[in-house]
Amino acid sequence: MQRRDFLHNLAAVGAISCLPMSIQRSLAAQAGAVSVDQLPKLEGDITLYLGRGEGGLYENVLEAIRKRNPKLNLQIRRGATAALANSIVAEAKAGVRRADVFWAVDSGAIGLVSDAGLARPLPADLTNQLKPGFQYPEWAPVTGRVRTLPYNTDRLTAEQIPDSVMALADSDFSIGWAPAYASFQSFVTAMRLLEGEKATADWLRGVNERATNYAGELGVVMAVERGEVDLGFANHYYTLRLKSGKPDAKVDLAFTKNDAGCLVNASGILALSEGDLPINFIRYLLTREVQSYLASEAYEIPLVDGVKPPQGLPSLSTISPPKVDLTQLADLRPTLNLMRRVGVL
Amino acid sequence: MQPQNQLRKNHALGLIFGLFALVTAGQVSANGAIGDHVNDLKAHLGQYSEEVNWLVGKYDGVVNTYETKGKKGTDTQQLIDFWEEVDFHSAIETNYVPVYANIWQGIYGVKQAIEAGKPVAEVRAEQDKLNSAFWQALGAVKLAAQFQEKGLLAKVQTTEAEPTTMPATLDDIKHRLDRVVAKYAEKLPEAATSIVHDTYLHRFEGVEGALIEQDAALVEDLEKDFNVTLPQALDGKTSVDEVRKVVESMQVKLDKAKSLLVEAEKNRKDVF
Repeated sequence: MQRRDFLHNLAAVGAISCLPMSIQRSLAAQAGAVSVDQLPKLEGDITLYLGRGEGGLYENVLEAIRKRNPKLNLQIRRGATAALANSIVAEAKAGVRRADVFWAVDSGAIGLVSDAGLARPLPADLTNQLKPGFQYPEWAPVTGRVRTLPYNTDRLTAEQIPDSVMALADSDFSIGWAPAYASFQSFVTAMRLLEGEKATADWLRGVNERATNYAGELGVVMAVERGEVDLGFANHYYTLRLKSGKPDAKVDLAFTKNDAGCLVNASGILALSEGDLPINFIRYLLTREVQSYLASEAYEIPLVDGVKPPQGLPSLSTISPPKVDLTQLADLRPTLNLMRRVGVL
Repeated sequence: MQPQNQLRKNHALGLIFGLFALVTAGQVSANGAIGDHVNDLKAHLGQYSEEVNWLVGKYDGVVNTYETKGKKGTDTQQLIDFWEEVDFHSAIETNYVPVYANIWQGIYGVKQAIEAGKPVAEVRAEQDKLNSAFWQALGAVKLAAQFQEKGLLAKVQTTEAEPTTMPATLDDIKHRLDRVVAKYAEKLPEAATSIVHDTYLHRFEGVEGALIEQDAALVEDLEKDFNVTLPQALDGKTSVDEVRKVVESMQVKLDKAKSLLVEAEKNRKDVF
């Protein structure tokens, strides 16, 4: 056994040891989704900073956790994800800690907090439940969203769409995009990290010549469906939700390969205070039940093994996202400067 | 005809909602910090009544000056200054934004009529509308004071609370749209446009995914309203009444959205 594997396993054993024996056995036996029935009851006071999420569905999850754990005193502070991340860092500098856990819709905000050295290490048995590529020592991705190319099915076939996002800058397609939208900016950040500043600037200029701006990415998908543009850039769930409400919608999803065009970004959670309660609280979000709920109700991609993806989305294993440390997406300032410099913002 | 008590009930609900939404928006008056008096309305009702009477008298004085000395002899800036001087300003701003917008509309109605050198009768007609808005506002604050006393209204300035459900988010959006009209009536079109953009990105975006599963055409309509129709109406040339019409039409659609989402939530599966 290599030294690193040995240490890894040792850490896992140490972390598991704080759980009852039956649960230890259960978690040790399986990497993947755990049922909520296998988890200990949550007791005590905990404060969660919750970045703005998908409507009220995260709230439904939290309410269900509360109901299941009547001895848990869960306090929630809500706000824009980036603002809460900044608050956590500012509070730490001031020598106070109000949040015990931070659930952010955007992994960039997680990066901001973990880069400040405020995140507590997570036990290996918890991070091992997550799919390969989504295992981080100090934070847990909760659910994912993949960048897609929604296209109008009357105007294009999947075969006509290149599998390289960079090639779209030289195509003749009319394109819809939402440059002011946070997810789009994370996508450009990933492109910047993967392809470099110059290639990204050239790409932005090239697409900008044929692009129509929209305020948000649902607007992009709806414009594609109306045939205002041939295709667009958007997170996957807008198309799935539109098709759920309008099954004959003239829109489908295409994916690029191994580039920023199919980046899988994630919401994530980290623990800011020590002890079992924050860790066990995080375990609840990774349960089969919560992961299935967010997949079926919010069309988000479950990131633990053994839970089905949302209807209409290919399995994550068939998508080839690029290898990007999601916490690096926190570095938005160079992206915004670049987008302003080339005139798309 | 709608029964009187139903009207009263709707009005009261509007007031409750108005204050609640202000808290969730963490709103601060454009004319300075909101004083603590708004959390004890009842104790200040006498002061507010005096202020309304004072305002009515002051505006009458300005119009009298116009009648005797004409446009050049009248300082119309006083019309703004008087309104910004009174505590009643934030009392109504925190309670019932639609009437708050009417007051600004009335002030500018008088101001612009004077500056355009309109006949005194026309200026008086604008003044009458303004006076009606003041009295209506005082009534709204009195009613709010009753609810506040019974503990039915949340405290102002606790801030940082956000709507936690989709129906509450839609209510919050409606209230923010009332503020759009108020800011536009206050001759602050850029502030009004910022509220529209902010509301779209930080509120409507969070519910439209769920809403599109229920009624794609309705989302399409509201997308256009948020991104085209309303921003275009806030060009500084469109009348306040026209802007209000756009907002009211959006609020009707948001009510429909709310009932669809409430119904959808009943059928949603349990988490555990």
